[in-house]
Amino acid sequence: MSANLDTAMKTATDGKSAIAVKEMRKSFGDHQVLKGISLEAHEGDVISILGSSGSGKSTFLRCINLLEMPDSGEVQVGGELIRMKRGKEGQQMPADIRQVERMRTDLAMVFQSFNLWSHMTVLENLIAAPMHVLKRPRAECVEQAEALLKRVGIWERRNYYPTHMSGGQQQRAAIARALAMNPKVMLFDEPTSALDPELVGEVLRVMRSLAEEGRTMLVVTHEMSFARDVSSRVMFLHKGEVDALGAPKEMFSNPPTPQFKQFISNFSK
Amino acid sequence: MEVLTNLQDQFSTAINLLVQGWGLQLLWGIGWTLAVTFVSMLIGAVLGSLVAAAKLSSRGTLKFIGEAYTTVFRGEPELLIIYLFYYGGTQILTGTARSTGAIGATDIINMPSFIGGVLAVGIISGAYQAEVYRGSFLAIMRGELEAARAYGMSAFTRLRLIIVPQVLRLAVPGLGNVWQLTIKDSALISVTGVAELMLSANKAARSTHHSLLFYALAGALYLVMTSISTPIFSKAERYTSRSFVRPK
Amino acid sequence: MDTDFYLSTIWSVLKALPLTLEIWFFGVLIGLFVACILTWMRASAFKLARIFSQAYVFVFRGSPLLVQIYLIYFGLSQFDFVRNSSILWPVLRDPMYCTILAMAMNTAAYSSEIFRGALRAVPVGPIEAAKAFGMPALTRFRLIILPMALRLALPAYSTEIILMTKATALASVVTIMEMMGVAQKIQHDTFRPIEVLTCAGLIYLALNFSIARLFAMVEYLLSPHLRPPPEQSQQIKPVPEVL
Repeated sequence: MSANLDTAMKTATDGKSAIAVKEMRKSFGDHQVLKGISLEAHEGDVISILGSSGSGKSTFLRCINLLEMPDSGEVQVGGELIRMKRGKEGQQMPADIRQVERMRTDLAMVFQSFNLWSHMTVLENLIAAPMHVLKRPRAECVEQAEALLKRVGIWERRNYYPTHMSGGQQQRAAIARALAMNPKVMLFDEPTSALDPELVGEVLRVMRSLAEEGRTMLVVTHEMSFARDVSSRVMFLHKGEVDALGAPKEMFSNPPTPQFKQFISNFSK
Repeated sequence: MEVLTNLQDQFSTAINLLVQGWGLQLLWGIGWTLAVTFVSMLIGAVLGSLVAAAKLSSRGTLKFIGEAYTTVFRGEPELLIIYLFYYGGTQILTGTARSTGAIGATDIINMPSFIGGVLAVGIISGAYQAEVYRGSFLAIMRGELEAARAYGMSAFTRLRLIIVPQVLRLAVPGLGNVWQLTIKDSALISVTGVAELMLSANKAARSTHHSLLFYALAGALYLVMTSISTPIFSKAERYTSRSFVRPK
Repeated sequence: MDTDFYLSTIWSVLKALPLTLEIWFFGVLIGLFVACILTWMRASAFKLARIFSQAYVFVFRGSPLLVQIYLIYFGLSQFDFVRNSSILWPVLRDPMYCTILAMAMNTAAYSSEIFRGALRAVPVGPIEAAKAFGMPALTRFRLIILPMALRLALPAYSTEIILMTKATALASVVTIMEMMGVAQKIQHDTFRPIEVLTCAGLIYLALNFSIARLFAMVEYLLSPHLRPPPEQSQQIKPVPEVL
């Protein structure tokens, strides 16, 4: 298995490192969720993170932008290491919250439950962070926001409130909101899991177009079609460890491990 | 050092005053406060259930009367209601007595302060209790009532076996709040002369000029009364919920 | 129907409405200020601040407002240092200021619990999204948490403010001639308590009703996200600094 891993890592796109994670561990109480995960994502990589529930995939993603604190391990974004320190009870904390906030602006996240700000219209959602975090002038933010909304196909709803839109529309708005930050890497945490089946397609289409334009994306998902057809690499987590990692065509046609074989057989219905 | 001896002096003065008889006054005051609160809660329970039933009924007039009751008696200043029952009661009693010739044209029959006060606070408590009962009733699973109907239970039987026990169970937390509210409203009855805690503290403060001592003491005693109700109502809630909580 | 009497009573009581409103307004305003401080203390990292806030709420919610008024008006004037103080004495010897102060401190206790509940009720998802976009804590509070908490607190807080109009009546017990005081005097002079107090009651009802409608309008204005969607508009809505 590790031979496959090494090969997979070496044959990854030759580009600048976008995200590098080394030996990340995380426990919740007695339960160890991440048992030493490493991953290197280069610019332009679209990595699908697969695994059954409890395998730690969401936790892994949330540890990258420090929404959860990893117990140990390194995270580098664009070659820069996120500095950590030990707190009073020995737990890991960011050494410099400003560094974390700055890096988060390069790591836009799209959530399973959209998490749009319900007291703001769609347009206001898109310009809030660029204006108040990146300190860009309002006119510029609005112009970019309108273009992005046209891109994801909900420009007509720009003055609507999130509660007035379908789930698919809300998620597309959330993706546009993430794009408005001009992020280096986009993190997707099960973006279609909360959607009605007929709305999943419109979101996947947007994500596919983002992949095709060369964006770096880490996508935790259950959508096998996306993993197989759109991603450049697939990472399969099993019980907190990287069980398989490689190019999707080979992984799906020749499952490298019995666990992965078992996993995809559950989906081929 | 001076501060300490000062405090010591004040403390012993306080103890002296209390022992001399003011302490007893305050204790009687507590007794009257509790009496007023109990009776008011009972009156409120009766009125509250009637009003809740009215508000839940499908008859428009009943609904309107119920809404008017809760709006008025939760919206008007408590002091006004108390004055209304106390002085208004005197007005009615005197008026009817004079017109029937039972008393002379210049005599007055006073509304007894306890009755007037208790009626007023009871009616106010009833308005709040009505909302508690109404909310509790609405929270009862509709299915249980439909099942009772399907089994042919008469309205009265449904009331006795299903509605009342369930409403009481759900109403306990809300009633705990109303109890605390009613205790505090009872302090306003002091304007009518009932010798409850507030009035006793007033008398003591005016006679001895130790306002801070007696008002602070009264405040503390009210705190004790309102906070003692919390564990009591928790116990009541656990007791009435015993069929709904899994045994350990 | 003795309309003249009723009309003159209503007019006399209405003349005291400005005073009632003054007590109400300043009580609410100062109370809001104190409530914000209390809520902040309750969420503070310092244990002492948290305990003080909890104790404050316990005391002011557990005792009658009347006791609190008496305590501040009569009780504090016992102290020499209060009577001699050039700042405190003008305030604490005036029944009007004492009533407003007592009302403010009382409503602050209830209001801070309302605010605390509202802050806890803000859903965690949108806050996480704000974090994930690199928003520092103060910006998160200003743009996301505060606006959402405000809208969540508004129904309960407006109820509390309307209840404050009832509290103004207690000022009459310390000789202030607001509406209740005026009504009491008329009632005593004319020996017609039922008529006079009913008139006063009607005025209080009208007052409460008006304030309730005012708040309903504020709630309506602040919650377009809960109403049906708007007409398609070509105009871009401006983004207010704090929503």
